[in-house]
Amino acid sequence: MPDLTLTLTSAPPLAGYDTTFGNLSLTAPADLAIVSLALPLGAEDAAKKAIKSAYGIDLPDPGKSAVSKEGARLVRLGLDMALVIFTHATPDAERVVAGKLKGKVYTTDQTDVWTGLSLSGPRARVALERICPIDLHPDAFAENDAARTVMEHLGALIIRTGPDAFLLLSASSSAGSFLHAIETSIENIT
Amino acid sequence: MSQKNRIAAGQVDRATELSFRFNDTWMKGHPGDTLASALLANGQRLVGRSFKYHRPRGILTAGSEEPNALVQLRSGAHQEPNTRATTVELFDGLTATSQNHRGSLEFDLMAVTDLLSPFLSAGFYYKTFMWPRAFWEKLYEPVIRASAGLGSLSMKDDPDRYDKGFAHCDLLVIGAGPSGLAAALAAGRAGARVILADEDFRPGGRLNAETLEIDGMPGADWAAGVVAELAAMDNVRLMTRTTVYGAYDHGTYGALERCTDHLADAGGKPRQILWRIYSKRAVLTAGATERPIAFGNNDRPGIMLAGAVRAYLNRYGVTPGHEVAVFTNNDDGWRTAADLAARGVHVPAVIDSRDAPAPLDVPGARHIRGVGVVDTVGRKGIKSITLTDGQVIPVDCLAVSGGWNPNVHLTCHQRGRPVWRDDINAFVPGDALPPGMAVAGAANGALTLAAALAEGQATANAQIEQLGFTASHTATPRAEDEPHRGAAFWHVRESTKRAWLDQQNDVTVKDVKQSYREGFRAVEHLKRYTTLGMATDQGKTANIPALAIMAECTGKTIPETGTTIFRPPYTPVPLGALGGRSRGRDFRPYRLTPSHQWAKENGATFVEVGNWLRAQWYARPGEQGWRDSVDREVTATRNSVGICDVTTLGKIDIQGRDAGEFLNRIYCNGFATLAVGKVRYGLMLREDGIAYDDGTTARMSENHYVMTTTTANAVLVFRRLEFARQCLWPDLDVHLISTTDGWAQFAVAGPNARNLLRKVIDAEHDISNEAFPFMACGEVTVCSGTPARLFRISFSGELAYEIAVPARYGNAMMGVLMQAGAEYDATPYGTEALSVMRIEKGHAAGNELNGQTTAHNLGMGRMVSQKKDSIGAVLSQRPEMIRDDAIKLVGFRPVNRADKLAAGSHFITRGDKASMDNDQGWMTSVAYSPSLGHSIGLGFIKRGDQRQGEIVRAVNPLMGSEIEVEIVSAHFIDPEGERLRA
Repeated sequence: MPDLTLTLTSAPPLAGYDTTFGNLSLTAPADLAIVSLALPLGAEDAAKKAIKSAYGIDLPDPGKSAVSKEGARLVRLGLDMALVIFTHATPDAERVVAGKLKGKVYTTDQTDVWTGLSLSGPRARVALERICPIDLHPDAFAENDAARTVMEHLGALIIRTGPDAFLLLSASSSAGSFLHAIETSIENIT
Repeated sequence: MSQKNRIAAGQVDRATELSFRFNDTWMKGHPGDTLASALLANGQRLVGRSFKYHRPRGILTAGSEEPNALVQLRSGAHQEPNTRATTVELFDGLTATSQNHRGSLEFDLMAVTDLLSPFLSAGFYYKTFMWPRAFWEKLYEPVIRASAGLGSLSMKDDPDRYDKGFAHCDLLVIGAGPSGLAAALAAGRAGARVILADEDFRPGGRLNAETLEIDGMPGADWAAGVVAELAAMDNVRLMTRTTVYGAYDHGTYGALERCTDHLADAGGKPRQILWRIYSKRAVLTAGATERPIAFGNNDRPGIMLAGAVRAYLNRYGVTPGHEVAVFTNNDDGWRTAADLAARGVHVPAVIDSRDAPAPLDVPGARHIRGVGVVDTVGRKGIKSITLTDGQVIPVDCLAVSGGWNPNVHLTCHQRGRPVWRDDINAFVPGDALPPGMAVAGAANGALTLAAALAEGQATANAQIEQLGFTASHTATPRAEDEPHRGAAFWHVRESTKRAWLDQQNDVTVKDVKQSYREGFRAVEHLKRYTTLGMATDQGKTANIPALAIMAECTGKTIPETGTTIFRPPYTPVPLGALGGRSRGRDFRPYRLTPSHQWAKENGATFVEVGNWLRAQWYARPGEQGWRDSVDREVTATRNSVGICDVTTLGKIDIQGRDAGEFLNRIYCNGFATLAVGKVRYGLMLREDGIAYDDGTTARMSENHYVMTTTTANAVLVFRRLEFARQCLWPDLDVHLISTTDGWAQFAVAGPNARNLLRKVIDAEHDISNEAFPFMACGEVTVCSGTPARLFRISFSGELAYEIAVPARYGNAMMGVLMQAGAEYDATPYGTEALSVMRIEKGHAAGNELNGQTTAHNLGMGRMVSQKKDSIGAVLSQRPEMIRDDAIKLVGFRPVNRADKLAAGSHFITRGDKASMDNDQGWMTSVAYSPSLGHSIGLGFIKRGDQRQGEIVRAVNPLMGSEIEVEIVSAHFIDPEGERLRA
């Protein structure tokens, strides 16, 4: 019989991290839920329609993201692949998204696959220049743009969430190394 | 020491005094000085000893091309050898020591090698130290290394920090001299994103060293004005102290920024940054390097390049001497004489190799035409020169100009070949430039100021117009073209004394001639035979005069003789900068399992598996070594229950209407019939039929599968699946995403595994053997509602499950499983026990799937379905791959049970000689089996499946061991599989 005294506590790798370096702020967003969307081959239009009716916004083009009225961010990673990033504490993010999309889109829970860090401040781009190979000049990487890249040997997804604000996602197993890489970059420029 | 050579002029801050130490002497200098200019200001001409002959040497140049004035900078762990005094920015408290002498700089005991020079000519080492061969490593090489060489390392860890960076621009301008500034200004005003990089700490290039005017103001002032305008532009990035050292593919350039080298203390910040600059277009405005003329004893301290003398005079307010003669083959050398005279320095003579009228008026100087300098006197500093006509002129400095070489280096980094221009007696960039690059100014052969400015501006405009920008209407800066005619005069033939070409590697005119006589006439041979241009300065001042002399010997022209290839880096890049932050613990990222913290708190020893850190075993007090721990973990698991974090296995989420068909084509065995709620073992082959990776795939629902891969191949398999999906079968509706990090997965193995899990899994999920048999899978909940996945699979051979929870619960889950298992003495086990148990069970792993073995070898030949096509299926059936006498995976046990088996041993039939001809196969994996009480092994041996009971020898020549082993089934434990189905 199940032992009802046994309880599981949630402990994402960077939970609660929130540090300020001069006018740069680095934070691990709380309860960041991520669900991947895959558009079925040959039924893409129905999938896009389902996404539009679920979130009230069109699925953006690859390399772009868009935010729904409720604050869910759709990030298009490829022709048939996107992420929904939203705030949700319980471990049922995939079910929530699948329920909205009514079986028109394949969904996979990615919440625990990733670790997220929000970097903001006037010199955020200068700090990222030390590890991020892609061009983050606003002319080349505008607000809501998204890109897969590699930082310090770690695969990463970078999204510009504001003029001087970025959301960085990398693998949760190497969260400590990723945080160290970002912190080092900030320390080296402040 | 006083600054006796400091005269009133220059761009140093005379109001501020800096103290620095050279060897044991404290001296003074000013902000804006280089170490070289400060040494010269203090009258220090002797700066170091030469590489091979320990000749006294001084300062030849005023830039990064310096071959002689190499010093050791700073002390202790910060000590850095071989820094060029001409590029070291002076700071208060700087300490520098001279290099390459035994005893003091003034009385170098090794100077005796100079007397031996007749024996030490080109090719000396090749000829002399050939015999006896054994002496090379033990005697010759250590002795030569000790006597030749440059500075020394501290032999301590480098305490400095380094970083890397990525910069992007429309136009990269390389060099901030007149043409570079004109180029950056044009592009900047047009709105392009510009990076202007210059190796100097003060932009302006030669404008800082000359008295030339632009737009009616001194060139240095014009440069400062332009720099101020550029600095105010948002779209322009000015990178001083930054050397662009290499031109790489697709407009990418390597650059080294020296951030804190000019400070006494880096303040914990990176000392240097290695930049990768991505440019859409580039303009190379790297200027030109002056070359010397070779004549007898032309290496004495006090003999300098004429342009360098001007730089010290005009930029630093330092005169390198008070009786300065000029020896030139061109008009430009005359400007040194004129500038010296204008500053009140006595110029006794201008010696021009050309028999031509003076291009400039130099008050007080004799013009001696059509002669050369044949010899000099003064061991530690020049005292007099002797001319070809026999005249002796007392001097304390000789300024030499042999003309200027455009700095074409970066144009050659992608195999471009420079072309010769007779009118300037120099190589200029050829047509095959790195894509996106254009060249302007002196680097392109426009050696005069007005031409350099115009070309810089026009080239930048052309470059940015290609990118869609409209050139700004900026007037070209006004300047004059100074006289610049010169003669192809390379060395003074009349000299009988050694005439130095490559001063850093001590290569003389005689060496080049000897190289010619001995048949090493191609430039690449000349370089390697004489070591010309192979020192840290890469022969910047030496190569062209040496080529000219080789051309003379062969009777060819210089362009026919050709040049050696210029390769990156343009100037030396410290290894620390190349390494960046990737040092020590930061050499690479680490991946931690979800239960890492629990494992750490519970005494785990960790092992690196790729980037992962995995618990290897959990030592308990009293255990004498790792074997005690591992034996206990295995025994406890087999007797009751053990728990292992297996999160590192790759997990790939596969969805789509065609996912089943996709898997059927990926795995060599059939997957079409896998039912929902079931798991199947699968083997993947490479295209050539060799076994690639194995694992299990679970069908979670109609169109949803979860694949596991080996830890090592997790990324490779994912990539391979993506390739198959996108390129091989784009018509299939299949979607992949990695979930490796998303789920914390634990193996729960042993006869009490089910009992333990019943306490964790919520009651509504029936996990009885009937409801959830071997190879079942499903979604469950644990601990009152937390989602989980349960797989009934076994790597250990026991009744076993793998249970996965979202990774955020992983650390807690390990604790929960241990808590629930307390009544069964549940034991955490690490990768060693995992490995022991899989060997006992006869499961293949990385050692068996080594890229050489087939399904047939692994005893899984019948798994390769011939009823369908799958990757590798066809080629796996090639006759050679399915021979009857192929090696087969079997088990081995020592005949003498006390013997210890060794992986890597090769099997030889009894009585046969242990040779490759008689090789029957090899041992892949071994372990001490606590279950059996002796060493066991897995291995491949020819026809192994038909030879059970046979005794062969396991020979290991590396370890010098040979033991007799019996061929047995690979399944040492529970061969019928009753336990795992219990």
